[in-house]
Amino acid sequence: MSSTAIPTARGIRGERPFIVFMLVPAFFFLIMFYVYPTLFNLEVSFTDLSLFGLRQGGEWIGIANYVELVTSKDFHRVIFNTVFWLTVVGVAVRIVLGLGLALLLDSKVLDKYRLKTISRVLLLVPWATPPIVAIVSWRWLLNPQLGDINKLLIGLGIVEQPIAFLSEAAWVWPALITIITWNTLPLVALTFLAALQSLPSELLEAAEIDGAGRWQRLRYVILPHLKPAIIVMTLMSTFWTFNNFVYVWLTTAGGPGLYTNVMATEVYIKAFIDGRMGYSSAVGVVMATLMVAFGMIYLRFIAQREFKEVF
Amino acid sequence: MAATAAAPMPRAFRVNTGFSLPGELALVVLTILVLIFLVYPTAWIIVASFKTSATMFSATEFEFTLENYVSLFQTGFARNIFNSLYLCIVAVLISTFVSTIAAYTFSRMRFRGKSMIFGSVLLGQCFPWIILVTPLFILFAKMGLLNNHFSMLFVYTAITIPFSVYLLVGYLEGVPRSLDEAAMIDGCSRFQAIWLIIFPIMLPGIVATATYAFMLCWTEYLFALAFLTKTQLKTMPLALYAFFGEDTSEWGRIMAASALTTAPTLLLFLPLQTRLTSGLAAGSVKQ
Repeated sequence: MSSTAIPTARGIRGERPFIVFMLVPAFFFLIMFYVYPTLFNLEVSFTDLSLFGLRQGGEWIGIANYVELVTSKDFHRVIFNTVFWLTVVGVAVRIVLGLGLALLLDSKVLDKYRLKTISRVLLLVPWATPPIVAIVSWRWLLNPQLGDINKLLIGLGIVEQPIAFLSEAAWVWPALITIITWNTLPLVALTFLAALQSLPSELLEAAEIDGAGRWQRLRYVILPHLKPAIIVMTLMSTFWTFNNFVYVWLTTAGGPGLYTNVMATEVYIKAFIDGRMGYSSAVGVVMATLMVAFGMIYLRFIAQREFKEVF
Repeated sequence: MAATAAAPMPRAFRVNTGFSLPGELALVVLTILVLIFLVYPTAWIIVASFKTSATMFSATEFEFTLENYVSLFQTGFARNIFNSLYLCIVAVLISTFVSTIAAYTFSRMRFRGKSMIFGSVLLGQCFPWIILVTPLFILFAKMGLLNNHFSMLFVYTAITIPFSVYLLVGYLEGVPRSLDEAAMIDGCSRFQAIWLIIFPIMLPGIVATATYAFMLCWTEYLFALAFLTKTQLKTMPLALYAFFGEDTSEWGRIMAASALTTAPTLLLFLPLQTRLTSGLAAGSVKQ
């Protein structure tokens, strides 16, 4: 009774032209946008191509760009900023606060005081705010003369002189991380909240009957249940943060001096301000290599099981 | 009815939260503080955009004015709004169409190397855009495509495809395969089955995906910064940031432009949040 129209194992071979036809448009864009420029970038990284001499093209200079980069003190600083401040501190703050916020929003207390719906809607506001607008707003909030945060701190008597959060070395990284966290926290919190809601309440009740206190329930019931979500969110947040350009560029442009310069802003500064396209490409290659290495190590040692479940 | 009569207290106040009353109140205060922290920066921008420059930075005074918007439009900002709308809408239409047919293939067809090909599409999600800027700039410069909306359409279509395919495959997995099969047994061709049966069922998912893609393009800054330098071609985020000066910033215009940039994302986002959240959560965290 098998008809050729039914997608049986035999029918599939005949459908190859259909599959190709359906996938070609998407792959045209993906290959032309991601694959080809990435390979081209690798080639440019071995030249001294200049922004101001694109027509003449660049000379092949071998690994000179990479040698310069590895031996440059400024670049060591850039790597430290990217890896430690932007990624490790930034992601850790986001995951911990996201967990706390999800637990708070899941609490029965909010239900009781009718704050549940409103808090979930308001949680989305930072996420719906474009990064550029978030940066504008926070640049004002942190402004030493006009900003509300300094007014509040002075009003409460915590400080006497306004703090220039975005130009004092001691404050600029915490300020940047605050901005990034504010804008990206909702996605993390909502993901954890969704995972929390799939936790069967019987499990928590059973733990309670067995005498588990609040911390024990968190440690032995809730956190193990959230583990896959935490692992996936940590990986995704790391990629997004490590690669992000706009927050650092528009908040401090890498300053004061090069104090907050990160790899993404370094790629841009070298290519479009210093005009050194070849060197910029080499920074990009290092960046991509670091991310691939991180992804592979992470998948190999931490998330193997979780990702088998997802894909 | 008997239960209601037996309980004079309102239902909500009988909930056992596991906290003492001071503990509950502390949590409520904490929640309110957190919500203020989350909403204040965005709310302030919108309120400030309607304040006169004399009262803009005052916490207590408020003088209503539309002058910031009038002044904004005198700079030719309408042109920037048009650029953003045009680029985002056209790119999202192309990307959603291309992603929908690709997602259908990934969800319904079996072919060799499928999971590897699908995995590589997802890699686009984590791809550092910044490293594409330099090579694409060189390529566009050689082709004379800098300061050209055609190249921006290409970029905006390409950046939204990986996420769209990912979300749409998620939605399609929720549509029973027996529907396609039933339609085809009843004599539909595969294209008819897609167009007449699957597409209408998927429409809410497609709308949600397109909305997300629109917001991604609408707020995009990096590629626009690198590839568009002519004022009349710039998108809203670029034009907005140009009002920040080295020494003085035109705060009135900045506030009005920020409010206009936020309005569509806020208005599109809040109604769609449940759909997006469940899609994102279902995709990223398989339970």
